[in-house]
Amino acid sequence: MKYDFAVIGAGPAGYIAAKKAASAGKKVLLVEKKKLGGVCLNEGCVPSKTLLQAAKTYRHAKHGSIFGVEVEGVRFDFPKAHQHKNNVMNKMRDGIAGLMKKYKVEVVEGEAKLLPNSQIEIDGETHEATDILLCTGSSPAIPPIPGVDLEHVVDSTGILNRESLPDHLVVVGGGVIGCEFACMYASVGVKVTVLEAMSEICPNLDPEVSESLREGLTKKGVTFTLGAKVESISADKVTYADESGSKEIESDLVLVATGRRPNTNDLGLEELGLDIEPRGGVRVDTRGATNIPGLWAAGDVTGRAWLAHAASRMAEVVVNNITGRKDHMRYDTMPAVVYTSPEVAVVGLTKEEAEERGIKVKVGRIPMAINARYIAENPDETGFCKVVLEADSRKLLGVHMVGGACSEMIFGATAMLETELREEEIEEIVFPHPTTSEIIKDVFMAVR
Amino acid sequence: MAEPIIMPRQGQSVESCILTEWKVNVGDQVAEGDILAVIETDKASFDLESTTSGSVLALFWEPDDDVPVLANVAVIGNEGDDFEEFRPDSDSTASEPTPTADASNTAPVPQTEAQQSTSVAASSVPVSVSSGGISAGVSPRARKLAFRHGIDPETLEGSGPNGRVIERDVEAVASGRPRLSASAVTQARNGMEPPLRGKGLAGMALSSDMKEPGAIEGAKVEPVKGIRKLVAERMIQSLQTSAQLTLNAHFELTAVQAYRKARVEAGKSKISINDLIAYAQIQALGAHPEMNAHFLGNRFAVFEKVHLGIAVDSPRGLMVPVVKDASDLSLEALSAEIKKLAIACREGTIQPDDLSGGSCTLTNLGMLGVSTFTPVLNIPEVAILGVGGIELKPKRLESGEIEYADFLPLSLTIDHQAVDGAPAALFLQTLISQLEENPGQPLTTSNE
Repeated sequence: MKYDFAVIGAGPAGYIAAKKAASAGKKVLLVEKKKLGGVCLNEGCVPSKTLLQAAKTYRHAKHGSIFGVEVEGVRFDFPKAHQHKNNVMNKMRDGIAGLMKKYKVEVVEGEAKLLPNSQIEIDGETHEATDILLCTGSSPAIPPIPGVDLEHVVDSTGILNRESLPDHLVVVGGGVIGCEFACMYASVGVKVTVLEAMSEICPNLDPEVSESLREGLTKKGVTFTLGAKVESISADKVTYADESGSKEIESDLVLVATGRRPNTNDLGLEELGLDIEPRGGVRVDTRGATNIPGLWAAGDVTGRAWLAHAASRMAEVVVNNITGRKDHMRYDTMPAVVYTSPEVAVVGLTKEEAEERGIKVKVGRIPMAINARYIAENPDETGFCKVVLEADSRKLLGVHMVGGACSEMIFGATAMLETELREEEIEEIVFPHPTTSEIIKDVFMAVR
Repeated sequence: MAEPIIMPRQGQSVESCILTEWKVNVGDQVAEGDILAVIETDKASFDLESTTSGSVLALFWEPDDDVPVLANVAVIGNEGDDFEEFRPDSDSTASEPTPTADASNTAPVPQTEAQQSTSVAASSVPVSVSSGGISAGVSPRARKLAFRHGIDPETLEGSGPNGRVIERDVEAVASGRPRLSASAVTQARNGMEPPLRGKGLAGMALSSDMKEPGAIEGAKVEPVKGIRKLVAERMIQSLQTSAQLTLNAHFELTAVQAYRKARVEAGKSKISINDLIAYAQIQALGAHPEMNAHFLGNRFAVFEKVHLGIAVDSPRGLMVPVVKDASDLSLEALSAEIKKLAIACREGTIQPDDLSGGSCTLTNLGMLGVSTFTPVLNIPEVAILGVGGIELKPKRLESGEIEYADFLPLSLTIDHQAVDGAPAALFLQTLISQLEENPGQPLTTSNE
């Protein structure tokens, strides 16, 4: 068959691209080897957030007495939480399938291989497409630690299928994924230890944000061991080395969350001469074009951003360019969230990144605890909001928040960055009272 | 008592000078001899010094203005002194289209108004608006254009001084130019221009998209001015109004090298190879006077004496100082004169009268690693001699044996309107035989 547009991978890049291209009148093929929705819906964002909400609800019930809510006999039914998770995933998958049907996207289950001259082979059958979007996502990167293949050692996909709670969860890697699972398990009473090789967790975030997140999670019961390099895993122990030498901790469940790598194998990319970056991602320009005309890439397979919403945006950019609308990625305004309790939400440059680019900045920071709504709803949480401004123009360069449900308001800061608002304009925006979002307005008084 | 500072006459032929840069501002205290400005003639640049001391009361011209000699450029006196009587007539600027010429024809250009029309100054020197209103209004041209396009100019964001809506604001809306981000608007007010499509949301122009008018992507764009502008004009004029032909030849350096060595051994002053070539060129021009001439279209001017121009690379650009009456000078005097003029060019102290009046020119790129090149005539001169770099070449001895020797390439460009190839070749022969047989010696036989 000949198509206008073929999409390989039905994750948050793939199905968004397929829908958008089809609604622009293109004849679209969508290929998926596993399930519609990709890692995000089936092994990542959606299931993990469902379980995190289950854990949060449990914690609220258990710690409701500060609000005068006394509950006895609170119990966490993990299999039931999994059931809710599965229901959500099924619902979302049905939604995507319905969407594809509505837009007349041809969905094919199978493994795709790219051939020269815009051809794709799917399970022995050859198709052709004017433009092809490669969005095959990523997989957990598993380091070669002895014992990593033991049954009780899981990656982020494996842990989502565990329906029983361990006694002691050891998380190898204090990145975003590791922190989210640590938070979830600690919230339901499991002993959790995070082993992070670097000197701070989430090293890509603003250093103050990482520190505050670590303190917040510590209050929830998570133990962090920084500068810890895992040496081996046995049936009931994890051995690691830190400054003071080799140590052992007992563990009946080990989560390896040491990053992800782009899925570029078995796709025929090498034979095609596709340009792959040294770190494994498909090299693309800001439009998503690869070095091969007509072949585009979006999402984790490019090794950039590692965020579902970034993947969707990259896919939109590609389709816009294919359908004649100029568009390109703006990574500097890409928000990022850690869905722990407290949440972390950031967008734009950190002070350190701005200064590295030679920009003179001013920084303001205030604690979340000055906000009425915040302390009413989160009596036990800390957190802060920090802004980075260009010194002369007072243009907003970055917003970094820890606390509460700040993920729900980061889009406002994103809009400010996208339109290059300065303090002068932001001052004139009305924020509803009382909301936690007011913190973004109030933080400017702390800028110096 | 206020005293005017005039534009000095820089040599007999200079009618006007370009005021490149002010070194003082209105209100500054200056002493006699302090540098007020940098000025340029068509040949060189100079410092304009104060002839009195006091406070700078007025600066009548803008950088890059072409100022007639003897015109008042500034007034120095006591604070509060009246300086209006010294303001130059606007008529005096009428001969050349200068930036100030179109600003006003009723009165000489007042400083503040001229600054409004230039980009950078608009923000640094706020101009008071007498009405004190919110809007700085709409320019008549903008209003006319808006009427034609059916646009209400009052609703537009003005990019003129104080937010005045000017023609380009209406043009931008009419031509579908991008919307400007809040930060980009500020830059537009400072004279920066957006591209047809910005890199922000849906093509919104961001501050990083804003460019100086006429900017080119990936390049630093600067106006052509001062000496560069004049060199450019003269070069293209030279190539367009003359019939340039270049003859190439080599001469053997052995005798020149032996002569220099003998001088050093005899304890005499050092003479460069270039000095010896200049000396031989002067001798050969004496024997071939048709080469020591100006071609003036319907007349020849054949000079009695040789006034040798020497091309010098200076920080301000190419300069050609002239050794007047060079044919009267001894080798030692010629060498000293060339050295003196070259230093004056490099230090910027060369007098304009030393930069004109040449009858033939010498240019040497050999020391910069150039092997051979085609010099461009310094019109109306009919010949220019170019010198390349030393080359080791084989030569056949009388015995028939082959030996290596150092050679220097010469390239003689002539104006074929005035001189034919054969006489030019004879001139080269004379020159070469001088250099190979009698370097540093006067030409003994004027005719063979």
